[in-house]
Amino acid sequence: MSTIQDFSGYTPSWCPGCGDWGIGIAIKTAFSQLGYDPSRIMVVFGIGCSGNMNDFLNAYAIHSLHGRALPNAIGAKIANHQMPVVAIVGDGDCYGEGGNHFMHACRGNHDITVVVHDNGVYGLTTGQVAPTAQKGFKSKSTPSGIIDTPINPLTLALTQGASFVAQSFAGNVNHVIEMIKAGINHQGFSLVNVLQPCVTFNKINTYQYYLKHSYKLEQQYNKEDFNEAVKRAAEMTLQDKFPLGILYQIQRPTYTASLPQLSAGTLLEKKRYTEYDKLIGDFK
Amino acid sequence: MKFTWKIGGEAGFGILTSGLVFSKIANRLGYFTFDYIEYPSLIRGGHNALEVVVSDEEVHALKQDIDFLVCLNEDTYKNHKHRLSGNAFVLYDPEEFSISENKRQKISVPFKKILSDLKGQPVMKNTIAMGATLAVLGSDLGILNEIIERQFIHKGQEVVDFNRQFAALGFDFIVKNFKANIKPLMPKKAGDETFVMTGNDAFSLASIIADCRMYCAYPMTPSSSVLTTMASWQDKAGIVVRHAEDEISVINTALGSSFMGARSAVGTSGGGFALMVESISFAGIAEMPIVIFLAQRAGPATGMPTWTEQGDLLFACFSGHGEFPKIVLAPGDIREMVKLTVKAFNLADIYQTPVIVMSDMYLSESHKSIKQQFLTSLINEYKIDRGETISELSNSQLSTSNKYLRYQITEDGISPRLIPGVKGQFYQANSYEHIEDGHTTELAESRKNQVDKRNRKNQTYLKTHFEAPSVYGNLEESDSVFVGWGSTMGSILEAQKVLNAKARKTAFIHFNHIYPLAREKVEPLFKDKKRYILVENNSQGQFGQLLMMQTGIEIKEKILKYDGRPFWPEEIADHIINNT
Repeated sequence: MSTIQDFSGYTPSWCPGCGDWGIGIAIKTAFSQLGYDPSRIMVVFGIGCSGNMNDFLNAYAIHSLHGRALPNAIGAKIANHQMPVVAIVGDGDCYGEGGNHFMHACRGNHDITVVVHDNGVYGLTTGQVAPTAQKGFKSKSTPSGIIDTPINPLTLALTQGASFVAQSFAGNVNHVIEMIKAGINHQGFSLVNVLQPCVTFNKINTYQYYLKHSYKLEQQYNKEDFNEAVKRAAEMTLQDKFPLGILYQIQRPTYTASLPQLSAGTLLEKKRYTEYDKLIGDFK
Repeated sequence: MKFTWKIGGEAGFGILTSGLVFSKIANRLGYFTFDYIEYPSLIRGGHNALEVVVSDEEVHALKQDIDFLVCLNEDTYKNHKHRLSGNAFVLYDPEEFSISENKRQKISVPFKKILSDLKGQPVMKNTIAMGATLAVLGSDLGILNEIIERQFIHKGQEVVDFNRQFAALGFDFIVKNFKANIKPLMPKKAGDETFVMTGNDAFSLASIIADCRMYCAYPMTPSSSVLTTMASWQDKAGIVVRHAEDEISVINTALGSSFMGARSAVGTSGGGFALMVESISFAGIAEMPIVIFLAQRAGPATGMPTWTEQGDLLFACFSGHGEFPKIVLAPGDIREMVKLTVKAFNLADIYQTPVIVMSDMYLSESHKSIKQQFLTSLINEYKIDRGETISELSNSQLSTSNKYLRYQITEDGISPRLIPGVKGQFYQANSYEHIEDGHTTELAESRKNQVDKRNRKNQTYLKTHFEAPSVYGNLEESDSVFVGWGSTMGSILEAQKVLNAKARKTAFIHFNHIYPLAREKVEPLFKDKKRYILVENNSQGQFGQLLMMQTGIEIKEKILKYDGRPFWPEEIADHIINNT
C-alpha cells in the first residue's frame, strides 16, 4: 500500500495560498487511495504553474510542451492501455494553446483523466488573461478589460463527446480527491475542471468568490441526463453559478477498447509482425 | 528495349489506376518500369496523365520521348504531342477529336461507341484502352483479366465479366483493324520476380519491417498514401494508426507512444512539418525517439500541392528551436527508401532523437520496379537495434541513492532509456532543461553538462552510423562530377547513361546521409580539381549551402530546377554538352 509520501518529490514552489497546493495534495491522496504507486501510473504535465508539479509529484511522467499534454497522454495510452494516464494541465494550456487537442480528445473518448487547474489567468507569465477569464477582466495584456467572453470548458467537453465531466474547487480538497478518483476510475475521457484561485494575479475569482458562487450538485442529480448537464454547465456562463460534482457520466467504448488489435494485450506486448508476404501482395 | 507509354484523360476517370495496372502487367511479363503521374490538386475536372517507362533493364527515371500515347480526351494529345517520338503510336477516338499530323501511327479506337453499345460507364474507357494497348504490343489479356478479377471480385463475378468484355473489345478491335501496326515490344520473358512500389509504399513496408507499432498522421499530399496504406494494414499487422486532428497532435501522439516504448513514426509534407517543428525540439531535449517522414512538395505555403521540389532541405536540417542532435536521411529511390527507413528506426532508438526521412512528390508517388530478392534479403539481414533501450536496470545506471538516472552523463552521449512501468522506479522525460534524474534545472553547470551530453550524440553518430556518399561512375577517370542528394539520383544515373553513349565519362556523388555531414569522410571525394556540378530540384542550391557549411566544400556550377517538375535525364546531359 502506497502513502502520500511515496508520491512526494521536491518541495513545491507555488505561491503561499495558491490553489495548486490543494490540487497537489488531492492528486497524491487520490493516487494513494486508489492503491497506485509511482511505478504504476503515467502522468503528463503541461506548461504553467500547474505543470510545475512535474518536480513535486513522483510518477512515470512527461513534462510536455505548453498545450501538448493531451496528445502525449493519448499516445502513451495507445502504447500501454493498461497503465492509468493522467494529464495535469492549466486552463490556458488546455483550453487555449491546446484547445483543438481538447475537443478531439473528448470525441475519441481516450481513456485519460484530465485535471485542469482553472484560475482564469496565466500565472507563470505574470498574470495575463486565460481563455477562462471573465469578460471585462483587466490584466497586463488586456488593460481595458478582455473583450472576449470566457470559454465554458464544461459545455465544450459535453458537446464534444466527453463521457465524464466533473468540476471541483481547490478550496475543498476532499471534494477534489473524490472527483479525481471518480475520473480515473471512469473508463473513457474524463475531465475534472478544478476552480483554482490565483492569489497573486486574480483578485476577482478568490476563495471567497467561489465559496459564494459555487454549489454542490444535489444528491438526486441524474448524471446521465445530457440536457440537464448542459443546462447546469451553462449556468457558469449565464449566471456566474459554478456547479461542483459529476455533471455527466455515461459508458461508451473507449478508443483503445475499440481497436481490435489491442484486445489480446497492449501494443508493447504484442509479437513483432513478420508476415510481410501478406503485405507485399498489394504490389504485385 | 526501352519505351514510354503514356495515358491521359480527365481527372476522376481512373487514369492513375490504369497506369498502375500497366506497370504491374509489364513487371509480371518480366520488365522493369518507372512511372510518373501528373495531376492537379482537384478530384474532378482538370487533366490527369501518367507515363510508364518500360525496359528490359532497370529504369531509374523518365525519358523525354513518348512512344505510345493513349488519349482519352483531346487535351492529352494537345498537351503531350510535342514529346511524341517520330514513329509513336497514338490511340484516340476520332469521334472526340481528329489528328491532322500524318507522321504518327494513328490508331483510332471507337471508345465512345463501344461504351454506349454496351452501356458502360465513362471510367471503363480505360479498360478498352488497356485491351487495345496490349493488342498493339502483341501481348494478351491474361494478366489484365487476373487484375480485373482481383479488383472487382468482391462485387461479384458479373461485375468481373462486365469489365473484362471492355478489355476484350478493345483488344479485338486492334487485332481486326490494325494488324499491320502490331509491334510485339513486350513478349513475356523470364526474369527475377519484381513488384511495383512508390516511395510511400516503400516507407510503409519498411516501417512494418522495422517493427513500427504506432503511425500517426494528418493527410497531406504527397505523404497521404503512407497513412492510408498503414491504416489498411493495421488489423493485419496489429499496429495502431491514428489520424489526429492536426500535425501538432500527430507528432505529440507519436511521442507519447514512443515514451512508453513503442516504435513510432509520423508522416507529412512541408506545411504539416512546419507545425511539428516545436515538438521536434521537444523530442530533442526530452530524448524521445521519433521517425519523421517528410515528403516535400513545391512550396512555400500551400504552393503546388501535387508537384515536386526539394525545397525543404535546410528547413528540415535546422528544424526546431535550440540546439540538439538530429539525423536527416534522404533516399534516392525506393530501394534506398527501404534500406534507410529500417535504419532510421534503429537510429531513432540508438540516439533517442528525431530522425527525418526525406522524400518528395517524385519519389513518393512514382512507381518503380523492385526485385523480390532485394526485399527478401533485406528482411533476412535486418536486425532491430534498440540501442540503450532497457527494461531492467543495472547498478551502474543508478545514483548513489538507487535512483534511475534518465539523463545520465555518458561518454557517447547516450543515456540508457528505461521503458516506463518497471517496478520500483519512475522518471520524467522533461521538455525543460534538467539534471541527470530528469528534474528541472536552471543551474549553469548542469545545463552545460546536458547540452554537451546531447551534442556528443552527434559525434557518436558521425563515427558510427554516418555513411559517406555513394559514387557512381569512375571518379578518377571523369572530368565532370555530378553532386546530388535524394530523389535526383535516378535522373542523374540516366543522364550518365546518355552521356556515356556519347563517350562522355562522368561520375556522380550521391548523398543520402544528409545531416550532419562527416567532413573527413566527404572531403576525399572532392580533393581533385574537377568540374563538380550540383544538381538540385530547388532554386537556392540548398544542399550546396549545407555542404559548404558543414565541410567547407563549395560547388559553383549548378543545375537547379524549381518549376515543380522532376529532372529529365536529357536536360542534365544537355547541360554538360552545351556548357563545355
